[in-house]
Amino acid sequence: MSEVVFEIKDLYAFYDDHCALQNVNLKIREKRVTAIMGPSGCGKSTLLRCLNRLNDLIPGFSLKGQILFRGQDIYRIRDLTEYRRRVTMVFQKPNPFPMSIFDNVAYGLRIHGITKKSILREKVEHALRMAALWDEVKEKLKKPAVQLSGGQQQRLCIARALALEPDVLLLDEPTSALDPIATMKIERLLEELAQQYTVVIVTHSMGQALRISDEVVFLYEGRLIEYGETSSIAKTPRHEVTKQFLTGKIG
Amino acid sequence: MRWTLRILSYGVFLAMLFVLVSIVVSGLPYLFRPGFFTAWPKRAMSEGGIFPMLVGSLMLMGLVFAISIPVGLVGTIFLSELAPRRLSMLLQSLAATMNSVPSIVYGVFGLALFCVKLGFGTSLLSASLALSTMSIPFFMNSAVEFLRAVPKELREGVISLGASKFQSTLMVLRASRNGILTSLMLTLGRAFSETAPILVTGAVFYSTKLPDKLTDPVMTLPTSIYAIVMNLGERSQWMARGMASLMVLIMIFIYSVVQLTRRNKRE
Repeated sequence: MSEVVFEIKDLYAFYDDHCALQNVNLKIREKRVTAIMGPSGCGKSTLLRCLNRLNDLIPGFSLKGQILFRGQDIYRIRDLTEYRRRVTMVFQKPNPFPMSIFDNVAYGLRIHGITKKSILREKVEHALRMAALWDEVKEKLKKPAVQLSGGQQQRLCIARALALEPDVLLLDEPTSALDPIATMKIERLLEELAQQYTVVIVTHSMGQALRISDEVVFLYEGRLIEYGETSSIAKTPRHEVTKQFLTGKIG
Repeated sequence: MRWTLRILSYGVFLAMLFVLVSIVVSGLPYLFRPGFFTAWPKRAMSEGGIFPMLVGSLMLMGLVFAISIPVGLVGTIFLSELAPRRLSMLLQSLAATMNSVPSIVYGVFGLALFCVKLGFGTSLLSASLALSTMSIPFFMNSAVEFLRAVPKELREGVISLGASKFQSTLMVLRASRNGILTSLMLTLGRAFSETAPILVTGAVFYSTKLPDKLTDPVMTLPTSIYAIVMNLGERSQWMARGMASLMVLIMIFIYSVVQLTRRNKRE
């Protein structure tokens, strides 16, 4: 069994009075793809956003319980800059920065103090290759990133995250705004990335979870109702909601 | 019914166009008089040119921008990025209120505070401060909407890579730079054409020299138009018409730039 990256203990999350997560206990393992599933509003994005403390930005958010990242309580971390470099995030809607393709990927490196041109160039190329985007953009690195297609923009966002050489890649429904071909490319990419990185992906697509994940977490109304190996849950779901998801009755 | 509406809307449009065109046309020939832009006015403004008014207006604009841009930007960033939501709403409605205060009130306020209380007298400095008092909320009201329109995904994207609040704010400014430019141009147009706040704080009807220090009084285009129309005879009216025509042309230019930057943003 591979090492535990995240250990979530008795987690409760609130937006003002609304309780978004209740008593979630969960372990996320290294170099595997963990899919977080459930119907809209079940708290799956909240859970993901807790993992790199992005919810801190939302007024009224509060949290009880513990999230340990390699044994360290992340809500006690002072230097979020370094933590977010190691646990980085890709969003539902591609969000390229209003700058060139090259500068998009270099942005994270620059804010972490890497400014030497030769190193930047090398790391940007490496990240774009990892994100399977290099061949499509190598001729136009100076062009604005917003000119890329939606699928390319999303791979650019993945490259931007990978450039930081993170430990964990968090993805919040990364393909929900993309067409099937672009979705397929990103799914393939994630499978490859899982050999080197720990990947946590929120998805509402059962098919996607079955295709790419090693482990799956089911949330329903803020509670964790089932989690384990994707293959065994697909064969023998224990919970009624999971069954309905698998048979396509909901989801 | 449809035709009535159509005729009415064309009518309104033509009426507006008529106002602008007739102002420009009535003054246009004077702009080509020799020395109109380079000479001082002579014989109670019946001869010569508008050199000191033009330079005075430009100096005033320079100072207003030097004061309004930094203060306005800091205020806008505070409203959109830093202030808690309730405080931000409160401050924004304050800025909106200040926007609808009649401009002569800024003149009277400036007279009391800058000219008298702070002792700057009737001067370029007092006038630019009074005009800035009016321009800053105007700029903030317009610019804050552009900053707010930046999608939250962009802010989160920057933060999720480990960036600080400061770095995410820079990214927001970068993403809204066309909008900020638009707001600046609109503020420029408003401040350039505003008469009342400077009428009582720094503008004079006639001065023998250009201001060479901040505490000197200044001649400007809009206040000179006012002065000529109110005080001088028929022989001087051409100069007011020439200046009015010039000001409308400048405003048309400013608003065209605004439209162009907007169009670029859409593309």
